[in-house]
Amino acid sequence: MTVSTSAVDGQRTLSFSEVGPAERGKRPDEVVIAISPAFGSLFSQTIVDIPHAEVIRQMLAGIEEQEVSARIIRVQHSADLALMAHTAAKLSGSGIGIGILARGTAMIHQRDLPRLSSLELFPQCPLLTLETYRSIGSNAAQYAKGESPEPVPTLNDQMARPRWQAKAALLHLKETELVRKGAKTVEVTPQFSAAAV
Amino acid sequence: MTQPTLDPAVDYPLSVHRKDLLFTPTGKSIDQITLEAVVSGEVQATDLRITPDTLRLQAQVSEKAGRKQLGANLRRAAEMTAISDERVLQIYNALRPNASTKAELEAIAVELESEYDAVLLAELVREAAEVYERRDVLAESE
Amino acid sequence: MTAEAIQKPVASGDDVRHSARTQILEDRPVNLDGFVEEWPEVGMVAMDSAFDPEPSVRVENGVIVEMDGVQRADFDFIDQFIADKAIDAATTEASMALSAQDIARMLVDPAVTRQEVIAVTNGLTPAKLLAVAKNLNIVEIMMGMQKMRARRTPANQGHCTSARDNPLQVACDAAEASIRGFSEVETTLGVVRYAPLVAMAQQIGSQVGTGGPLTQCALEEATELDLGMRGITGYAETISVYGTEPVFVDGDDTPWSKAFLAGAYASRGIKMRFTSGTGSEVQMGNAQGKSMLYLEIRCILIAKGAGVQGLQNGSISCIGVPGAVPAGIRAVAAENLIASSVDLECASGNDQSFSHSAMRRTARLMPQMMPGTDFVCSGYSTMPNYDNMFAGSNLESDDYDDFNTIQRDLQIDGGLRHVRESDILAVRTRAAHALQAVFRFLDLPPITDAEIDAAVYANGSKELLPRDVLEDLKGAQQVMDRNVTGLDLVKALEATGFTDIAENLLAVLRQRVSGDLLQTSAIMTKDLQPLSAVNDANDYAGPGTGYRPSGARWEEMKKLRHVTSASNPETEVE
Repeated sequence: MTVSTSAVDGQRTLSFSEVGPAERGKRPDEVVIAISPAFGSLFSQTIVDIPHAEVIRQMLAGIEEQEVSARIIRVQHSADLALMAHTAAKLSGSGIGIGILARGTAMIHQRDLPRLSSLELFPQCPLLTLETYRSIGSNAAQYAKGESPEPVPTLNDQMARPRWQAKAALLHLKETELVRKGAKTVEVTPQFSAAAV
Repeated sequence: MTQPTLDPAVDYPLSVHRKDLLFTPTGKSIDQITLEAVVSGEVQATDLRITPDTLRLQAQVSEKAGRKQLGANLRRAAEMTAISDERVLQIYNALRPNASTKAELEAIAVELESEYDAVLLAELVREAAEVYERRDVLAESE
Repeated sequence: MTAEAIQKPVASGDDVRHSARTQILEDRPVNLDGFVEEWPEVGMVAMDSAFDPEPSVRVENGVIVEMDGVQRADFDFIDQFIADKAIDAATTEASMALSAQDIARMLVDPAVTRQEVIAVTNGLTPAKLLAVAKNLNIVEIMMGMQKMRARRTPANQGHCTSARDNPLQVACDAAEASIRGFSEVETTLGVVRYAPLVAMAQQIGSQVGTGGPLTQCALEEATELDLGMRGITGYAETISVYGTEPVFVDGDDTPWSKAFLAGAYASRGIKMRFTSGTGSEVQMGNAQGKSMLYLEIRCILIAKGAGVQGLQNGSISCIGVPGAVPAGIRAVAAENLIASSVDLECASGNDQSFSHSAMRRTARLMPQMMPGTDFVCSGYSTMPNYDNMFAGSNLESDDYDDFNTIQRDLQIDGGLRHVRESDILAVRTRAAHALQAVFRFLDLPPITDAEIDAAVYANGSKELLPRDVLEDLKGAQQVMDRNVTGLDLVKALEATGFTDIAENLLAVLRQRVSGDLLQTSAIMTKDLQPLSAVNDANDYAGPGTGYRPSGARWEEMKKLRHVTSASNPETEVE
């Protein structure tokens, strides 16, 4: 199945249905993706209006083309990216996890690293494109297989902060309102539906 | 070593005015840390460390300038010179939120006192244990 | 202000007729900046919030039992740390009895000494310090800063990074930063695993020429400490503290763990400071309804209580947040002043990109550059901003000549100087060859002469020859596994014929034995001597006193790239 990186083929919608509590995976060839409380729920697109449906499709495609499987979990007790990504890594059979916030910020983590460290970090959410999300999926899958991929080239726009930081703060505040202390992390499956044209 | 009384206006920087007081943990004078000595292997990485005596001298300098918290930090640091790099990092990690139970922190405090004579550090750890318990940032007991 | 406002789509192409003038203004860079309405309920407000506490304190048996409206039993861990360690219980009731306006006057009045001010601030609570700040307009804040900075002579700090984490580029830029006058240089990575090579390159490059700059590598806490212990870096700064308990916990630390970490650095003779800044708590979603400056003042007092010698603040990486609200930049200047007023070294921001507008960037810089601070910038980008891995600085290499000109225009010392191109190329070349030699000596992936030629003459990573990243990462891992230390770098430099650089590096490392750099605001001079608030105390006491650029330093500041000669107006001054 080829997955193009253009977001123009119809406005796909995304929702997540809960499968059960997030468990530790056994298969060594998997990547776990942790989504934040507001991802694909309160918010349906990143800070630069890229639909979450497309972000997830590309990430899954990147993992799949490396012939690695993927699981998605939703963290509900925190909107902290490092904690989410590290949680995913610890639950993943390969020890590799991805974390992503509703506004688009993402991270690839590994279970033995300190929580505030990472394998690869993508802090400037306004700069992340569908191509990047696919590469994030692909790299995570390669780490899962024990390979050493060339890190996804880091994007750097020094004007992202003046332009977006306050808006990102407001988005994060809204996301944080959904955080419920003590709520369990759950495994979810994505449901894509094409909107009627 | 009983600490000499310093006058910061005259004695600081110690590396300029009071080299007679400065030694490495292996007993070398600071003047012996030369390029020649490094090349010959006489001076090693373990020599480029500060001694507890020197930290207490610097604490004196800070306190005389009215910086009592800086002095207290340097005195805690003096105790910490005895602890290995690895153990220091472990204790730091144990002091992070939700990392240790109260009993584990108490055990660290006891270790600091009994193995290292680090009474100031033990006090810091015990304080942490108390407040972490009150504020619910201890680890769940296994 | 509600959630709905965020989701409203941007209006596009209305049918209103606009004037040509409007179009010009619409297209101005300042209109690309982000501005938001205040939302005090969640802390999206600079310093003027109805939800900030009223100042108060009560002491019983030498212990603070009530502070800013909160009883001791209800203190969160930040309140307790501040009450027990930062505030002087013996003097607090007397200091708090002074009005905020009177204390503000003391800050501005040249007849009141720095020591007299500190004797009062030692006893002030966060809410009281906020009340003092609210009495000061921006000019008064600058007047206060002139007197309250700890070290008499101002200095500057540079960022040295590469978009490709290229160690050769960092070595060259560190050498140029050193000759231009920076006293500290800081690096960080796009890919954390590159850290050992890049930190080494910065360490070596910074000691070319007269030497003396202290170097740091911004990483996760435990990793940063490890590099420091090995002597591959010289000091640490990004030891972050936060103003609300939940945000602190999200940052995986507490004031106690940070205080322990501070002691750990000192126990190895390594200088360090904490970092904080307005806006971090609201950005992380948990300001508990308090204003940005109120929360930042809590951070300042955490630093004071922990006994660290100094603080990097001035919003730092959150500058887009106070920058987006009214009086935000005034609040940022106030936080620098308050840090200095509680006797901490202050590395005062100006290190993060905050505006598309050149005018606004300069305005943001002036409250620190005009009065002078311990480090006017806590990260002037010594390379073009596209290479800045701190996501861009307020100032970059493109701005060097403007910065030096402003120094000359206003006779203010921002720590830098103009240097002739030939001198810059010489130090860049030397640094590159030294790094090449050290890499060869340590069996690390080679640096070619072609790479050196490109790097010496480059502006940024776009002009470099790309390196084999995966090989470099293996080399970086080697450096950690083989336990390479700063002393190994000294030996490698000496063995490969770079004795002068080896001597400079050894002089910096040797200071770990003396602890002189642990005192407040310590740097090394060009003569490799420690200079700090102890032997260079700020003695400002009004007009005609304190530090004023003069003599050799002023002559140096007069030099620019193109100055017409007076004796021969058809030529330029060399």
